[in-house]
Amino acid sequence: MSTVILDGEAAVPVVSAVVPMWKQRLKIFMSNKLAIVSLAYLVLLTLACYIVPWIHPVNETNQALTFSVKWNAAPSAAHWLGTDSNGFDELGRILYGGEYSLTLGFLSGLITIFFGTVYGMVSGFFGGFVDTVMMRLIDALLSIPYLFLLITLIAIFNRSTTFLICIIGLTLWWGNARIIRGDALLIRNLEYAQAANAMGANKWHIIRRHVFPNSISNIVTVATFSVADAILFLSALGFLGLGIEAPQTDWGTMLQAGTTQMQNGYWWEIYPVAAVFILVVVAINYIGDALRDAFEVRLLER
Amino acid sequence: MLTYILRRLAQSALVLLIVMIITFSLPYFQNHGILAPAYVVLGTHATPANVAHWGAQNGMNHPYLVRFWNYLFQILAHGNLGQSYKQNLSVWQLIGLYVPRTIWLALSSFILTILIAIPLGIIQANKRNTTFDYAATGTAFILYAMPSFLLCMLALNLFSFHTLHLPASPPSGVSPWAMFTDPKGFILPVGCLTLLSVAGLSRFMRGTVLDVLVQDYIRTAKAKGCSSRRVLYRHAFRNALGPIVIIFGLSIPGLLGGALIVESVFNYGGLGIQTVAAAQNLDIPIVLGITLLVALLTLLGNIFADVTLGLVNPRIRIEGAAK
Repeated sequence: MSTVILDGEAAVPVVSAVVPMWKQRLKIFMSNKLAIVSLAYLVLLTLACYIVPWIHPVNETNQALTFSVKWNAAPSAAHWLGTDSNGFDELGRILYGGEYSLTLGFLSGLITIFFGTVYGMVSGFFGGFVDTVMMRLIDALLSIPYLFLLITLIAIFNRSTTFLICIIGLTLWWGNARIIRGDALLIRNLEYAQAANAMGANKWHIIRRHVFPNSISNIVTVATFSVADAILFLSALGFLGLGIEAPQTDWGTMLQAGTTQMQNGYWWEIYPVAAVFILVVVAINYIGDALRDAFEVRLLER
Repeated sequence: MLTYILRRLAQSALVLLIVMIITFSLPYFQNHGILAPAYVVLGTHATPANVAHWGAQNGMNHPYLVRFWNYLFQILAHGNLGQSYKQNLSVWQLIGLYVPRTIWLALSSFILTILIAIPLGIIQANKRNTTFDYAATGTAFILYAMPSFLLCMLALNLFSFHTLHLPASPPSGVSPWAMFTDPKGFILPVGCLTLLSVAGLSRFMRGTVLDVLVQDYIRTAKAKGCSSRRVLYRHAFRNALGPIVIIFGLSIPGLLGGALIVESVFNYGGLGIQTVAAAQNLDIPIVLGITLLVALLTLLGNIFADVTLGLVNPRIRIEGAAK
């Protein structure tokens, strides 16, 4: 009963207070030109990756589509970015590989932030013995080098796309849990959370209405960086030959293939995909930085 | 302080036990269970009788708890991490061969990283939003955003094939002293690992120093009329040191992970390459042993970070330290 009343009471002041804050945050975010460019680049690239292969079939997996397969062909009018060592159109491969890299990155980033938030909040908020046990478990998981663990897991289990998403998502959240736990621990001891507690609010209510909204800045920032990290880790797996299996591809696998052709002077097999890849990770990081600024209370005009 | 360190060590032992349980249990979930390595050792067409025989030889027939107890007992009583399935070596022999090489690689780039990243972070934070800051941030961003193997391959291509003609891989002898007798071969691997760590850390350094610079005590120090140099080094640097120490303590797994990629690119026979090969061959004892060792190093790094933090930052009173 008490939670219902608290919810109803809280709703009135929160609405009037949050909207201008939200606008201010948007304003801070929009004032960061780099972040706007980054966001535009990401959106356009994502659209291109998912839509262009439909409206303009670029022979991304099927060699038989062309009558005369050309291996390692230099860029031409027919193949804007040349072809790779299997005769696939490089531009088509970049977009096709992007579908995998971006999907895997975003989905595992989402998994990461979900588990990290829930775990970190519970651990930090309840504190004491619960916190000790939960954090020692995180210590154990974090002390296994991440790449070593991934390689072991992928060698042991098979590597389907779903499995890669789960594995990357389920192994990247430990660090996030620690960051968010720190926030929860801090907020739990602040006056407003203590006041809510003194008024008899139930624990989940305090987590939902006080701890979570006030640590959202870290959650959002950590989430963006997790996506970038997931994309990077996927590429490292691709390099070690543990990425997406042929004929599907991802950017890491493409970069790996490109580096083996570097000494032959086939620059189009490495630099375009490298540029696209690096810009994606840079863009995500710029967006993360802008979001952090937007949520930084000290920068808000009061 | 001693009680604190002892308590942390005890907790770390517990954490190591959890790591052991996790890694020990993982092989049970694979296809063919713990007998899967038999198909790598004996070949994919091994008959079920041969596989069963191999399993019996390697003590696979015992139930989970008995096997775990045997493993734990061997480690605690004899320090025995087991025998490789695939190579005629014990895990300790393998570690003895390759760990020194990885440690040299990681340690030398770790020192270089500290020497570069800390001053860079301070200069950037102090001269923020200048051309230098933008250039440094941009470079760090691009290096950070680049998959580590790509950076290594590009460096290899540029400095080994096109200009300078540095050796593409360090001398293959096992002794790490080769770093002093033939330093040329180590320039590329150590340089790449350093560059990767600096890129990862410099953003963090800049952010930490910036966080400190907006604090009230910095404003107070400025208001008192402190010179900006004094504000930076007496007030900002010392307060930023805490997070920096923590991150260095925590960067051990990252360094070893980065070393893994650097080792594969430059064909530097070290721990990383061995782990990847062992994982792909399902040579479980090696994977387990190396994981435990690295976990131990990481935990010691954490304790080191926390203890130094208490020494660096007098405001932090470690719980239980006063007792």
